[in-house]
Amino acid sequence: MSDENILNAKILLVEDEESLATGLEYNLSEEGYRIDWAKDGKQAIEMFNKSDYDLIILDIMLPYQNGFEVAAKVREKDPQIPILMLTARTTVDDKVKGLEIGADDYITKPFHLQELLLRIKGMLKRKKWYIKSIKQNPVYKIGNCEINFDNLKFRKGKSEFNLTHFEAILLKYLIENKGRVISRKELLENVWNMNPEVETRTVDIFISRLRKYFEDDPANPVYIKSIRSSGYIFEAD
Amino acid sequence: MRKRYSLAYNLVIFILAQIVWLALLGLWIYWYVSNYLIYEQVGEKVSPQIVIDTPNVFPFVGGIVLLVGLSFSMVLIFRHLNVQIRLTRLYDNFIANITHELKSPLSSIQLYLETLSTRNVPAEKQKEFIDQMIRDTARLQKLISTILEISAIESNKNKANFEVYDSCEILNRLLKESADQFRLNENTISFRCLGSAKISIDVNAFKMVLDNLIDNSIKYTTDKLKIDVSVKTFLNKVEIYFTDYGIGIPVKEQKNIFQKFYRIYDEDIPNVKGTGLGLYWVKEIIRNHKGKISVRSEGKGKGTTFIIELPITNK
Repeated sequence: MSDENILNAKILLVEDEESLATGLEYNLSEEGYRIDWAKDGKQAIEMFNKSDYDLIILDIMLPYQNGFEVAAKVREKDPQIPILMLTARTTVDDKVKGLEIGADDYITKPFHLQELLLRIKGMLKRKKWYIKSIKQNPVYKIGNCEINFDNLKFRKGKSEFNLTHFEAILLKYLIENKGRVISRKELLENVWNMNPEVETRTVDIFISRLRKYFEDDPANPVYIKSIRSSGYIFEAD
Repeated sequence: MRKRYSLAYNLVIFILAQIVWLALLGLWIYWYVSNYLIYEQVGEKVSPQIVIDTPNVFPFVGGIVLLVGLSFSMVLIFRHLNVQIRLTRLYDNFIANITHELKSPLSSIQLYLETLSTRNVPAEKQKEFIDQMIRDTARLQKLISTILEISAIESNKNKANFEVYDSCEILNRLLKESADQFRLNENTISFRCLGSAKISIDVNAFKMVLDNLIDNSIKYTTDKLKIDVSVKTFLNKVEIYFTDYGIGIPVKEQKNIFQKFYRIYDEDIPNVKGTGLGLYWVKEIIRNHKGKISVRSEGKGKGTTFIIELPITNK
């Protein structure tokens, strides 16, 4: 996906508020993106099944099926598509739930147009970087775990499951920067493209999830270690 | 932390408390009876000529009454706690809903303003955006008034301005005004007058009742919107039947819909907008008119009829 392709990306906008959707549709089209608009959860899933999208902007409070349910269904079919949750709900529980279900990023209403556009651009760029970086060697081994960055399959012993798109990107970033202390700020800026002042908890949520996957004892991690007041370091065999 | 205090958690505490209480009761009876037996045996041994009268049951009964009283208070506390938990849950939902309702138009206004200030928007589009912002501010205005009006109605601070009208005449007029306001087609609302009488109403408040009912019909009708309103008189009352052919209300939910903050959560519901205040407000207004409101719906997908009863005035 070249920069030009990023601008040609096809976005599924799922928003029940007509006025907001109209404004977003106008702005995103002006940026060069192609936009499809779904008014409720049911329609969103139908449209997602019918067409290929590069990114989904997803509201949470939706008729018929809420954003969490839509995200879960989308993830079943496509573990890689970036999902940006756009919502009026601001509680930490909502954010955690959204990220756990498989959303990659979270922006709360009311938002600044420029910030939204930057985040979308960042997510599409990361997708491009990710696709490029896994092309040569999609399989990586940590201890007794095997990660296929192409289909996002994670295998530990006999158990196998799918990583979410962002879990994979984060892990990829940690692997590429093996042996170096990486601050939360750096992760937020480079992986999430987010303002580090606000959202450091997001990093911790994702790190603890990764630890649960491949550390034998997540409380005493061997691979992803916390460095007090600095961040994290990834150490592999 | 709130999750810890769920209904199941309380139920477990209640059951445990009951077990403790029953154990205490058993212990009390055992202690009393065994003491009485010892006292009887010792009495017979020491001095057989002492005739023991019928046992003094006062401490025994007193103890049982005390324990039953304790159990009763526990039931009361448990009941009160559950009501409190239910209210807290409704209130939390209300906060989530009101946040959504306030932030949505606000986000839209912010988006349009930022669009207009950062992009070179064609004049035609500018007009469209400005109209949209006006609609959003009207929505915010309506929401804020609802909250303020409810607060006023609850503290009886609102000054009702009751006047006497002919029921059919005033309803027909108010429905036409609402239809214009909601930009409904001429045939969407049909009005039938089967009998009219004088009623004393506060026109502004009553208009809000009709607006809320129409707004609900719009929100919860998936096909073509159709509303039938009929008015008749029965004994000393005027009855207004407000019927739509929307998604209906499940029978088990019908008793709850007039509660403050209550909203039905169902994946077949086509609209998630709302605060859970509308029908509560309607009920309060009707109550202020010394009337009653009830709902009938044969269930999901079968439409809804609201029946408003108002007293006929003799003035």
